[in-house]
Parts: sequence; C-alpha cells; structure tokens
Amino acid sequence: KKILDEQPRATFTPDYFQTSQGVQGGVTSLYAHLRTIYGQGYYYNTCETGTDEATYAQSADENFKVMDISGQGNITSSNSRADVIWGSSYSDINTASGIIENGGKLGVSNALLAEAKFFRGFDYFLLVQTFGGVALDLGSGELKFNTSAVRTSKRNTVPEVYTKAIFPDLTAAVNDLPDAPRVVGGVTKTVARLFLAKAYLTYGWWLENPNNIPTYPAVANRTDPAGKNPQYYYQQAYNLAVAGITNAGTNYALQPTYYDVNLATNDRNKEIMLWADHTENSTYTGGNIYDGNGPNSLNQDNYAVWMMTFNYTNIRSSSSPTTWSAVSSVQREAEQHLGRPYIRMCPTIGVVKNTFADKTNDSRYDGTFTTVYRGNWQKGSAPVSTYSTLYNSNFLPVTPGSAILTFLNDEPVPPITYPSGAGNSNVGAGTLPGRADWVVSPNGISRLVYPGLWKLGTYRTDNGTGLGYPNAGLTRPFNIAKFSELFFIAAEAAVKGATTTAVTGTYANDGTARGLINIIRARAGKWRFDNNGNVAKIQDNSAAMIAATPATVDIDYILAERSREYFGEGYRWYDLIRTQRWTAFASTYQICGSTAGDHTPVTVSRSIDSHHYLRPIPQGQIDAMQASADEKAAYQNPGY
Amino acid sequence: RIVDEKAQPVVGASVVVKGTTTGTSTNANGEYQIVAPVNGTLEVSSVGYPTKEISIANQANHNVTLTATSTDLEQVVVIGYGTQKKEAVTGSVASIGGEKLRDVPTPNISQALQGRIAGVDISQTSTRPGATMQIRIRGDRSLTGSNDPLVVLDGIPFIGSIGDINPNDIKSVDILKDASATAIYGSRGANGVILVTTNRGQRGQKPRISYNAYTGLQTLFAKYPMMNGPEFAALRKAANNLYPNSLDESDNINTDWQDLLFRNGLVTDHSVSMVGGSQQGSYTFGLGYYQNQGLIPSQKYTRYSIKGSVDQQVGDYFRFGFTSNSNYNLSEGNQIGLYGNLSSSPLINLYNPNGVLKTTAFSGPDQAYVLTKDRIDSLNDAGTWLNQTRGFATYNSLYGEVSVPWVKGLKYRLNVGGDFIQSNNGGFTGAGVVNTNPTAVSSASISNTQTYHWTIENILSYDRSFGKSNISVLGLYSAEQTKVNGSSLSATDIPNEAFQFYNLGSALATNVTVNQGTYQQSGLMSYMGRVIYSYDNRYFLTAIVRSDASSRLAPGNKWHTYPAASVGWNVANESFMKGITPLNALKLRAGFGQTSNQAVPVYSTLGALSQRPYNFGSSYAIGYYVSQLPNPGLSWEYSKTLNLGIDFGLFRNRLTGTIEYYITKTEGILQSVSLPPTSGVGSVVQNVGKTQNKGIELSLNGTILNNVNGWTWEAGFNIYANRNKLVALADGSQRDEGNSWFVGHNINSIFDYKKIGLWSTAKDSADNYMNILEPGYKVGMIKVLYTGGYDANGKPLRAIGTADRQIIDVDPNFEGGFNTRVAYKGFDLSTVGVFKSGGILISTLYNSNGYLNLETGRRNNVKIDYWTPENTDAKYPRPGVNISGDNPRYGTTLGYFSASYLKIRTITLGYDFNHSLLKGSNLRLRMYATVQNPFVLFSPYHDESGMDPETNSYGNENQAVTSYPRRFLTIGTNTPSTRNYILGLNLSF
Repeated sequence: KKILDEQPRATFTPDYFQTSQGVQGGVTSLYAHLRTIYGQGYYYNTCETGTDEATYAQSADENFKVMDISGQGNITSSNSRADVIWGSSYSDINTASGIIENGGKLGVSNALLAEAKFFRGFDYFLLVQTFGGVALDLGSGELKFNTSAVRTSKRNTVPEVYTKAIFPDLTAAVNDLPDAPRVVGGVTKTVARLFLAKAYLTYGWWLENPNNIPTYPAVANRTDPAGKNPQYYYQQAYNLAVAGITNAGTNYALQPTYYDVNLATNDRNKEIMLWADHTENSTYTGGNIYDGNGPNSLNQDNYAVWMMTFNYTNIRSSSSPTTWSAVSSVQREAEQHLGRPYIRMCPTIGVVKNTFADKTNDSRYDGTFTTVYRGNWQKGSAPVSTYSTLYNSNFLPVTPGSAILTFLNDEPVPPITYPSGAGNSNVGAGTLPGRADWVVSPNGISRLVYPGLWKLGTYRTDNGTGLGYPNAGLTRPFNIAKFSELFFIAAEAAVKGATTTAVTGTYANDGTARGLINIIRARAGKWRFDNNGNVAKIQDNSAAMIAATPATVDIDYILAERSREYFGEGYRWYDLIRTQRWTAFASTYQICGSTAGDHTPVTVSRSIDSHHYLRPIPQGQIDAMQASADEKAAYQNPGY
Repeated sequence: RIVDEKAQPVVGASVVVKGTTTGTSTNANGEYQIVAPVNGTLEVSSVGYPTKEISIANQANHNVTLTATSTDLEQVVVIGYGTQKKEAVTGSVASIGGEKLRDVPTPNISQALQGRIAGVDISQTSTRPGATMQIRIRGDRSLTGSNDPLVVLDGIPFIGSIGDINPNDIKSVDILKDASATAIYGSRGANGVILVTTNRGQRGQKPRISYNAYTGLQTLFAKYPMMNGPEFAALRKAANNLYPNSLDESDNINTDWQDLLFRNGLVTDHSVSMVGGSQQGSYTFGLGYYQNQGLIPSQKYTRYSIKGSVDQQVGDYFRFGFTSNSNYNLSEGNQIGLYGNLSSSPLINLYNPNGVLKTTAFSGPDQAYVLTKDRIDSLNDAGTWLNQTRGFATYNSLYGEVSVPWVKGLKYRLNVGGDFIQSNNGGFTGAGVVNTNPTAVSSASISNTQTYHWTIENILSYDRSFGKSNISVLGLYSAEQTKVNGSSLSATDIPNEAFQFYNLGSALATNVTVNQGTYQQSGLMSYMGRVIYSYDNRYFLTAIVRSDASSRLAPGNKWHTYPAASVGWNVANESFMKGITPLNALKLRAGFGQTSNQAVPVYSTLGALSQRPYNFGSSYAIGYYVSQLPNPGLSWEYSKTLNLGIDFGLFRNRLTGTIEYYITKTEGILQSVSLPPTSGVGSVVQNVGKTQNKGIELSLNGTILNNVNGWTWEAGFNIYANRNKLVALADGSQRDEGNSWFVGHNINSIFDYKKIGLWSTAKDSADNYMNILEPGYKVGMIKVLYTGGYDANGKPLRAIGTADRQIIDVDPNFEGGFNTRVAYKGFDLSTVGVFKSGGILISTLYNSNGYLNLETGRRNNVKIDYWTPENTDAKYPRPGVNISGDNPRYGTTLGYFSASYLKIRTITLGYDFNHSLLKGSNLRLRMYATVQNPFVLFSPYHDESGMDPETNSYGNENQAVTSYPRRFLTIGTNTPSTRNYILGLNLSF
C-alpha cells in the first residue's frame, strides 16, 4: 500500500503557502516580480517610444516602430509589448491575495500583510493606467486568492478598479507599513503615500477627462462611486504627497546633486524609494551575469538601457598618423557611459534642443546622457590594446580616455563638416578644425548616432583592467520610484487646484506648485562633477535655476520639468496619458535618418488617436480565454 | 542435417529429444547425430528460427529445413508474459529478428527499427553520437504525456534508455501494437509495447563464440546551407547596410566556418559473445564496445556493455535463471553548439596580420569567440573546456519457476527485477575560454541522477491441451517502484584549472552554487489475468483483464481496470480451403481493448509553486508563487482500440503479408492547460479532450527468386497511414487558440499565418491594397492570407491581424519502408529504405526561431532566394525591412516545408566465406561493407537546402528562441547528419 502514496521531497506545492515561511517567500516573490517588468527592454519601449522623449532607432524592429505611431505599422494585440505587465501582474496579484488570505490566519504581522496589499494596489494601478478597467475576480471572487482553473475573464470598470482595489489596498499600506523598510528596498509608509497620491491624482484626471478621451469598459458618465469630484482627489493627492515629504524622516532624502541620483556607485541611495533589484550573484539576479544570450535571460534581466544605446563600437580611429588605418577605439565595455548597444530607440532632436535647452546651469542634461565617448582601446585585446596613441579626427592624436566622439551642446560656428557616408569615423560623424574628436551637433542627431543614456548605464565591479561583461543583463537595480516625485505630484495637484499649505522641515517651501518645483530645480543647479567632461565641477547654479522658473507653473511646465528629471526612466507615456497632453507634446518630432552621414533633420508626424490612450489587451489573453468570438472582441480595447 | 531455406548448413542448432534432457547440436556442416526413441519427437531450434518438431517415426535420417522467422507464420512471437506461435496470435504483433535488425549497423535498436515495421514511426530527435530515436507506435495520442512505447527487456519493464541495450545481444524485437495485445500492460499499454529479448543459450548446445565488429568513417551528409562571403556581402547591401562590416570583416573574405569546424567522424563496434548449454542448463555471456567520434571535434560517445544469462533446470520441477545487462557509457563534447559557428559572418578574416588565429572576432556588432577544429582540439588537450556525462546502468532479473507436479501444465513463476541507473555530468570551462571576455573566470559544474527500480511479479500459469483444444491461462500479481533523485552544483573561479570539475569546493564559498535537487518516486501495483484458447488451429480467442493502481493519481482515483479480447480465425486451415493452392495461409483477426498511458507526471495532482530568487541589496531570498493549481481529479488517458487484421501467405508462402486496420480513441487527454494571465496562475493539468488515431498498415515480404541459378532475391515492403485528430475538448469548445488545439485537426497543429507569397511589386501592392492590409509595410515583404471581408469596391475592410491565423496540420499522409536482399554465391547485397509523404517539416534554420534567417546581415544567414528590386519573384522577403523582433515579419512562416522524403538508409554488400574459402569449416566468416545515408529523394527540403530531411531536434531545442512545444520535432542547429562508410565482419566458431 505504501508504494501508492506520494510525498514530494524536492518541489513545493501550494500547501506551502499555508505556512509562515511560505507567506514570507510569497512576499519576496512580490518584490521579485518587479524585475519582470522594470528593466525589461521591450516593455520599457512602450513607456518611451512614441512620446516626445523617444522614437525608434536604426535597428528597431516592429515592436519599436509601431509604438512610434508614425506610419511604420499599427500597434496590435500581438506587437504591443505592454503584454509584459499583463503577463506578470495577475500572478503577482494572486500571490498577494494568497498572502493576505492565509497570512491573517497564520498570525503574520499586519506590516508584512501591508507589503502584499501595497503590491496588489501597485499592480492594479499599473494595469488600470495601461489597459483601462481590468478583472478584479481572477476566478474565485473579487480580490480572492484564485484556486480555480477558470478560462474566462470579465473586466471591471476603471472606477471599480480604483475604488475597490487600488485605494483600499494602498490606504491599508499607508496605515500599516513601517516608516523604515523591513529589508533593503522594502516598501514603507512613504512609498505607499507616493503611489496612493499618484493614484488619486491619476483618478482625478480620469474623472475630469479634460480632452474627452474614451475609457473602456465603457461607463455611462464619469461619476465616482463614492460621489466625490475630481477636486477631492487632487486634494487627497496633494495632502498625501506633502505628508510623504514632511514625514520622510531619515529614510528618504534628495541627493545633494542630480549626478549622485543616478551614479551607479551610489545605487540604492535615499532618493530611490522602489527599485527592481539586481546583483552580481547570478543565482539571485534572475539571469546570466556573464552573457546576455543565456536561456530565459531576458525574462528578468535589466536591459532597458541597451535599447537607447547607439552602436558606438563602430566609431573608428586610425593607428597611423598619415594614412587612415581604422581601429576600434571605443570598445564595448561594462561601464556606465557605454554598455551594450541595441540601437532600438533614440532621443529626438527636440529633447536635446528644447527639453534640455539649458545645459550649463541645469546639471540634468549632463547627468542624463553620455555625450562624450572616450577611448578605451587599451582595455581590449592585442594588437589594438598595445597602441599608446591613436589618430582621430583631423589625424590628431588621441590617448586612452580622450574624447573620441562628442555630441555638442549647440550648433557650432563654423558648422561641422560631415562626410557624405560613414566617413573615417565610420559612423558619419563630422569634424571641426583643430578638434581631435569626431563631433555631432544637436541638429545632426540621427536614428543611427545619438547620445547614450548614462543614467541607466551598465555598472559592475568585476571588470578588472578589462572591458568586463558588457553583454550581460545589468547587475544594477532598475529604479521605479524616487522621493523627488512627491514634489512633482504635489505640484501637479496644486496646478489642478488643490489647496496648498506651506511645507516645513528639510524641504521647506511655500507649498505652491512653483515652490515645490523649485526644490527640484535648485538641486538640479548643483554640480559636483562634470560627467561628460570627466572633471570635478563644484558649482551652485540654484539661484539661476529658480530665477528661470516661470511665475506661473502650469501643467505643461510640470511635464517639461518631469522630462528633465526623469528622462528615459519609463515615466513619460504614463505622464502624457494621465494629463491627456500626449498629442500636444508628441504629435511631431525631429530626427535625422538611419544611414551613416545623414544629418538632415526631418520633421515626422505622429497620428496619435484617442484609442491609443489604452494599450491593446495582449493576444495571449484573448487566445487563452474560452469565449465566443464576440465576447473576445468585446474584451479587447476599442481600436485594436 | 539441418539447413536453412537457402540450403546453407545451420551451424550450432540445438536438437533435443522432446520431453528429455538428451540433446546435441549441429556441426559446421549442419550435421548432427542423436540417440532417440523411435516413436519420439525431435525439437530443432536455432537462434533466429522457430523451433521445429519432427516426429522420428522410425527413420534414421532427418534432414530439416529451418525457415527464417520473419516471413513465416510458424514463427514464435513474444507476447508479454509468454510466447505464442504467430499462427495463434490474435492481436497486432510485429516481430523482427536480431539478424535482420543488424542489417543496419547501429548503436541502438531504435535506429535499426526505422522503416522496418508498419505502424512504427521512428524519428530522429538528435544527431549527436549515441543519440536514440523517438519511437511512435500508431501515432501520437497524448499532448503532454509520453507517447513513447513501453519497453520490456527480457520480461521486465525497462526504464532505461534504449541506448543501453547492445543490439548485438538481441535475439528478437516484438512489437505489440493494438490494445488487445498491450492490455496485459494495462496503464502502460496505450503507446504500444516493445518486447526486447536477448540471446540465451540452449540446452545441449555446444559452446560457440561469435565476434562481430564493424568500423567506419562518418562524413558530413551536407553542410548547413549558410551563405558564403560574396553572398553574405550582397545580403548586407540588400539590407541597406543595416549592419556594416566590423573591423574584422571585409567583403573580399570568404571564410567557411563549417569547413574550419567539422572533422570526419569514426564509428567502431566490437562485440564478443559465447553461448552454450549443458544437458540441464544453458548460458550466454557477451561483451560489447562501441565508440562514435562525432563530426564536431571532441564530441564522442563510448559504450562498454556486458551481458550474461544462465538458465538451469533443477530436477524435474524447478527451473532458475538470471539475466544481467549492464553498460557504462561516456558522452563527451556535448557543450559545443553550432549556432555560434553558423551565425558567424563569412566575411570575417580570422587571422591577425601576424598570421595568428584571432581569439575573438566581430561579426557585425556581435563579438564571437573563434572556435575552430584546431582550437577545440587544443582546448581539449589542455583540459580547459570539457563536458562529460558518464552513465552506468545495470538491469537484472532473476526467476524461479516450479512446475506443480500433481497438476499437469500448472506452473508458478517468480520474477524479481532490480535496476540501477546512474548518470554523472561534469563540465569545466577554463578562465577566458570560449568567452569574448579574456578575463572571464573559470566555471565548473557537476550533476548526477540516480534511478532505482524494482519489480516483483508472481505468475501462475496453466497450459493444457484437450483434444483439439489448447488452453493457456495466466494470472499475475505484481508491484513495482521507481525512484529518481539528483543533485547538482556549480562553481566559478576554480583556483587551480587542473582540478577541472573535480573539486568545486576549492572555489570560494561565495562562488559555489548548490542547485535545486530533484526527487521523484512512483509506484504501481497490478493484478492481471489472461486466457488464450484455441480450437483445432482454426479458432483462437484471447481475453485479458488487468487492474493497475498508481501512486501518481490522487486517493480515490488510483485503481483502474483494463479489459481486452481478441479472436482469430485461421481460414486456411478450414477444409473448404484445401483446394485453393496459391493460398497457403489466411487468418482473420479482430481485437478490442482498453489501455492507458501514465501521462500524469509525478506529483501533478498536488499543484506546484515556482521559485523566484531575489536580492534585497546584498541579502538574498527566495520567493514563491503559484505556478500550477492542484487537481486531485486527474486520471490517466484511456485509449480504446479496435484492431482488424488479415495475415496471408501466397505461392507456397513466398509472399506473405499482413493488412491491419485500427481505430484508437483516447479520452481524458491530459494537458498542462495554459490559463489566461487574468487567472493569476500559469497553468493547470487537466484531462481536456479526446483524440482519435485510425490507420491502415500493410506489410509484405516476398521471395522473388528462390535459388534460381544461384540467385535469391527477397524483398520486404511496408506502408502505413495514420490519421490523427483531436475529437473533442473537455469544455465542449471547438478551438483553443492559446494552446493550439483544434477539434478535427492533428493534435500537433500549428496556428500561424499562412504565407501565400510576397508583395512582389509596387503594382501588386497597389492592386491588392497592401496599404490597408499591412500599414507601414514595404514592397517585397511576406504576404499572408487575409480572411476578412471586402467592401463594395473590393477594398479589404481591415488590416491583417490575429484573426487571419490558420490551422496547419503537420502529420504526414503516409509513411513506410522497404528492404531488399539479393544473394548470389555467397555474395549478398541488401538495402533498407524509408519514406514519408506529406506533412509539415519545421526547420528552425529558416524561421524566426533560429536567428539564422534574420535577413538583416547582423549574423550569417541561410542561403536563400530573397527579394530585391531585380528579383521580385523570390521565395524569401526583402532583407532588412519590416523587422519584427530581429526577424522579418511573419518569419515563422518561412520554416514550414513539405516533410516528404525517401531515404536509402543503408546499402550493404556482404560476402560469406563459408561459400568458398571456409567451405565445410566450423569457422563461419562473413564480411560486409555498408554505406549509410547514401542518398535522399523526393524531398523538397533536401532539394532546397541540401540537408538531410530527417528531424534532428525536439521542438524546444537547437534554436535561438523556443516557441514550439517539445513534442514537435524540428530541424535545428544540432550536430549535422552523416553519411557513413562501414566495413564489418561476423565471425563465429
């Protein structure tokens, strides 16, 4: 008889969730799921491409081109990579529900349960912004742990998702979470305040619906089930955000300079409130830390920054001072300025010229981009590594560490001489008399050659004297939320009419939109290091920054300021759809073409339609549902 | 004297006086002498022939002609828990003798069986040395469960790899195809049963030693069809220089990476065996050695095998015996994949200006480690890059049998089987080896699995004849348990490279990773009863009932009972048939039974959590989430099969054949059902549907010339067609797009767009509304079928989208094989071939999954006829535009080919030295030369690619991005197929 009994000894069964260790493990899994979304390069693309921040680059495939909405194909349920959140969030929501149900019975602390509530609210907030109303009942009842194999799904409406799931969960999180994180990167009251404030703000906008953008599933008119008006939610957002600022204690703080916020050696600093963590231990990082081609490595890897990295490894210098004898002088390196090129996305010319118009007072352009590519050939392999000097533009000598290619801040006089094709630089970069580095000016930024995204760049500690492992997923955390955003949320709520109150303490200001934004701008004016110049630069331009803030801060100014602060971090599409300013900000953009030597800016139009404000429900969901064709069609968002 | 059907002496045949222990064996001329009572009966037997009984009838000379088994209804076949005369068999049983199997010199019987038996489809799943093949008997029934037949080795269910059995030890292979035959194996019978019987000695047999050996050269069957330098340079230009040449590349270079990698392989096989018997017992012992060095440097498979069996009669009532089959095998070099080689640009100049081979080179933007034959050999010599799997397996059984003295024909038998299989893998990669980073640290890993399996069978049998009636009754009680456990470790930065993978503990503790352990235990308990009744060699009946209980099912669902019955009518033995001379044999058979397969994986009724490791800064933790819901209601997949058969013999049995028709309905098909993401759980295992297989099989064997002026010509032919479809889904729906199941279609169906050509010209694009169907599309791209509507002006109403995907059935129309043998004066020339018609062959070399047909110039490309403005009539799309995830849009449609082919597997020319040089000698010697895989015909895939059209990978292997389930067989970047030239000899004395 005994031979008919089963006792697994190496695999876990769902029974394990009935133990307190299982609940702990479930909470860990909630954090771990952040990796499947944040840092995922294709999902990252859906947050940026098609906004004023980014367009597709030379090696872009359909996933990127369609997101640009510029006549390169339609966004469909198959090519939209917002499926990444759809595929990851529900499993997380279900795990959270399991923890909340079982944890209570097992006597798990409310603080730990609040972490689960935070993530359930967090996931629903992400889903509802991206897709509209989504299912609250996974199969065993609304917000219940699903143990049944249902293959149907019914979408709730947007107000239901906010009022039944997001607000109660995040409110509980604000109440029950501790002030200081339980673990490094753990969620706290302040983190919950940030997301609840942002959810109130977003819901306020949704209720107000200034540009009459449709929602789905359709609701007769946008009334709040709780009977509150948009103004009420703006005020809630403001109050919570300000509470977040004033109650940060010693757990969260703005970094002294913008450079420090994103400097890899300063990762997990006090300004970062939530991140998807990674480490150089390949067992725990969720991918192969040596190689970017490992099995399943892209499911949990942080590789978003590759997408917006141009192929700088094609830049050439010469080993001979007289005849052009090309060698690769900027090699692929696991270093924050460089990393793995993928050439899928690029910033627009407008980003460089308009968003970051001030590049001298404001440290954020320098703290966002790699604009100078420096020689590192001595770290590569022989024979190139043996050269002490190479010859570059104008056959002028360069040594390791010298600028090899520079993206200029402004259009120079006299203008740059660009080659007709790839030229000696091999990437079509130009020359200026007397300069040893190849140069590209803002108007010459193309889909092939463009500044890199230093802030998200690769960093690791095991490079030694070599180039390291540039092809592996990043071992840095991918940042999700920052303390600075509390200022933006409060400011945005203030712009929307929230009654303001003066903020006291470390970040004392008058509590108006302008006062709050100026805290951020003042910090942006502080320099301690010139990143692209690669020299120390102690300078405080706070006064000039504040002076440049307009007297009346409006929503467009907040959006522009958000782009300066969070450029390329995956916020942009959500910011533009929340405020319904996508069309206004992104209907046209300028960029040069994809071929080497093309430095003629072209103005490209986008045909952003109101249905684009929701992403399509992924085809995988539609296919997997057991439903009639009509029901499936009704499940999909209109226009897809 | 005893001769075979070619009048050649049968050496070493055993002649025993029936009912006594008196016996002898034949000499080199086939002659024998024996003292026997005048009214007695002689039993003549020899390996490969059915036992023949001769009544002495007061004669002095008995010349006996033994007829080889496979063409004879007289043959004895193994039917599971016993044997039966083929004449009396009522189920569907096909047999092939060991000699016939060895017509194809192969390392394991799966390769030798290919094309030999109707209804048995053998497909290649890997081309690596030592690989075994996938065996399917009458199609697939199960989506997720194993469709592999149960193998029974010398009576004991066999849990090892078929590669563990040395083909030289095999006496016969009998294949039970229908449920009335396989129901004796109950819950494991649904996929058919392969009964492998190894050689045993015979009582009274003189000791005889055999030595069989062959050795040969394996050459590349065909290179992978990659572009050469000029072709690739042209592709890059056509792709608008999306990926310009790197510094290592130049348009005037033409590097053939495959030439630099592949070597010729070698195959060697030696096998020695001794058989003999005493008056009361018999024995056999054998040793085998097989080695195959693959085409890829350092890739090698070596097997040492040892086999022994003893049977001993003790007194009049007791018999004991044991059998042991053990082997040790070593696989090396399997860490070497081909993708890097095939995808490297042919424009790369591999040498530095000083003539030294580069360590790494850029292929477009991608840096690759340069792997050539010489480099692999030098790494191998240095011991800095290796991967070894060492397997040891031992399969043992013991039996004791007692004939109950006071009931004639009643016997009790106890079988005890004990098996142990161990596999140890070790891998080591030195610092900077095969890595673009020269300072990369070394890494090493070890893993092991152990399998323990025991079986106990209690069998009571009763055989008796009453007048014209023969009755045989069998009762069985058995229990069986299998346990598999494994562990693995890996480490980086091994301080001393000489340690390789032998001391992972020498690395820093933080560099050592202990991986997840594995553990599975499952048990089976069974009762079985069988009755076989025959009357006057005309009417036959078999009835079986088996009850199985398994640990894998939840309590309350564990037991299930399987009934089966079959009947036969030997029409030829009826008196009214006596006058019909051309017809020597005619038998009609019908059988019906139920079986199942053990498709429920261990522990799957319990559900599963998946693990997700995470780091909170520098502190590490493991997360868990529900990945599979529990389902205690799971049951097996039950198959009911009806089988109808006709066996016939014509023209004095010079033409024999079998026609069979079957229909198998399988219920409760299990599947790990993918749930919609909104359910929060990835999947659940459920009994989801019903499938059906029906088919027709025809086998013919003929002796076309029978010693006409010294010429003998024999031929065998089989053809079979299986129609597989999904009949119903559990929820009553007709289609399940997410899982690619469609009622009325093959269970292996593909759901994809259908390529109908290219948007070949601007006019075509304008006329056919490319702008509406494919917004953003460029001329020259793949055109897929649009199924939507049109407005009054003939304009399509919408863009092409997911609604336009089509169901594509992949199964072939029919398959089969043939063999022929021509003999003349000691020479014999034989050929074995296989063929297949229709169906879909998936080549991941050509589709999006392989990343070898990117058409962007990023990596080397398969050689294709692509669209250019000058070549608008091409098969493949325009390079470098409308890229979807690195590949051309709809790139998956480029990997579907017709699966038809006809392949000559072997041509063998042999010479029997006993015909001349050794005439009359006790020493027998035959030598032969064989060529394997000489050519392929009628294969569209071969015509286009030059490649072997046989699959070489499971659906989730040997491709860059996995998107097919494992059960689909594909062609991918595995070790290439070979064409082999073999010389061999068979010697015995």
